[in-house]
Amino acid sequence: MRRLIESRGFLTVLLVAALVWSVSSVDWGGPLVHTGGFAALLQFLRAILSPEVSPSFVIVALGASWETIAYAVAGITLAVALGFPLGVVASGVLVRSARARWPAMLGTRFLLAFLRSIHELVWAWLFVVAIGLSPMAAIFALAIPYGGILGRIYADILNDVPAQPLQALRASGGSEWKVFLYGRLPIALPDMLSYTFYRFECAIRAVIIMSFVGIGGLGYQILLSLNDLLYNEVWTLLFFLVALIAVVDIWSNAVRRRLVS
Amino acid sequence: MNKGIVLAAESPIRGRRFGFAGGSLVAFVVLAIASWGFILLVDGGDLLGLFSGETWNRATDFIGQLAGRGSRSEPAFLQPGEWARTGRLAYETLAMSVLAIVFAGIGALLTFLPAARNLATGELAPSRSPVWRSLFFVVRGAYMFLRGIPELIWAMIILFFLSPGILPGALALGLHNLGILGKLSAEVVEDMDPRPARALRVAGAGSFQMLAYGIMPQVLPKFLTYLLYRWEMVIRTTIVVGFVGAGGLGREFRLAMSWFHYTDVALLLMWYLLLVVAVDMLCAYLRRISR
Repeated sequence: MRRLIESRGFLTVLLVAALVWSVSSVDWGGPLVHTGGFAALLQFLRAILSPEVSPSFVIVALGASWETIAYAVAGITLAVALGFPLGVVASGVLVRSARARWPAMLGTRFLLAFLRSIHELVWAWLFVVAIGLSPMAAIFALAIPYGGILGRIYADILNDVPAQPLQALRASGGSEWKVFLYGRLPIALPDMLSYTFYRFECAIRAVIIMSFVGIGGLGYQILLSLNDLLYNEVWTLLFFLVALIAVVDIWSNAVRRRLVS
Repeated sequence: MNKGIVLAAESPIRGRRFGFAGGSLVAFVVLAIASWGFILLVDGGDLLGLFSGETWNRATDFIGQLAGRGSRSEPAFLQPGEWARTGRLAYETLAMSVLAIVFAGIGALLTFLPAARNLATGELAPSRSPVWRSLFFVVRGAYMFLRGIPELIWAMIILFFLSPGILPGALALGLHNLGILGKLSAEVVEDMDPRPARALRVAGAGSFQMLAYGIMPQVLPKFLTYLLYRWEMVIRTTIVVGFVGAGGLGREFRLAMSWFHYTDVALLLMWYLLLVVAVDMLCAYLRRISR
């Protein structure tokens, strides 16, 4: 039995079953397309040839892009401030005795798992209800799940540091704090920074998504233009969005390649 | 082992490495200061107001309502009937996430070959025609565009044409993840060991044979790992595309929020957490047997 459920053949069966089940769970007989849906689709696709480029609208798009960047950056800085201490505790590297280490590690790991398992948009919604429609709602909503992810990854990176240089520090009489400051952290830092930069890229997308609950930025402008059926404006904003993501993507990739060689 | 010692000796903030990475770090700090300045001074973000008594009251009120305080009927999460009703939505959500991964996986499998640099122009290229070569840029550009636009925006656009249900949600999630999976798979091909494929080619294998016996056996296991990793992400995001009407738990979440049925919201969040945890565990199992 154990050999059966751990075999490659069983995996194939599972994957095929998932495919069949998911495709069959769509109600293919029902009305899939709106009445007039195809006409709207054609209209939308045709608008790609004539995006709105009037100066006044480009200024709106630029302002929205900056807002998006600002929220993402602020959210990430807060997420680092939250994730770093939690990650250090969750890695358990500061405590030498196993009995004191495990409860703290398990507790913080569980907390981190909870923080990151709820999507940032759900957090945004809860924050908007709790503190009102303020940029702070977006920043906190971003910082909580991202702090959870960063903390978990930081903990893993800190744990994966090779033991030999640390042994050398310990042998020369360093306390765990000193071993952390002069051995573990400098070794782990490039990987930690690299992952943070990757998350920055994701944060831009996350902020765009949060527009849905009324947080300003590119996503909000897309929502407005889409509601007014101004497809030309939608395309302009989509191009801005893709360009923004592309720039951040290229930047973060370049940084990461140099940090982790 | 050696890597750690070398890194410790020449810390990244020193020497040749400082150039670009250090400059980027400085740029990021400047950006962070500018952003916080903009938010606090221009945009009306109020850091102190956040810790005022009023905010605190509203937040505790809200949490109390989630737990069922002040609601006239019995909280939704204590009624078995409600669990069954929302359970059907959780089932739909799960189906949506699997369908999204099916779309993304099939799309990526069909398109990732020309997007790998070593197959587009390198020694393994099956063809030297400029059409094949330009396909590299077309497919990579398409991946960039697909993944650059978040799922929610895709869903908003798609729901203009398709009627609500799990199909538009799965399509939106699938398009975004196709961009990610395609790029990741293409990079796996670029990083693979070229020797088996080269040996097959020298022995006279055709392009298809080289693909089937030299490339796919190396790529598929990694592809599956990425597929599972994306599934873990997709199940978290299903709730988001649901918000704009794509069906499943997210749609109900939005309705319950706008009707102030907060104990329903709490119940939906419980189902959502259960789904996330279940998928994470299932993925851990599948990853083990695919190894």
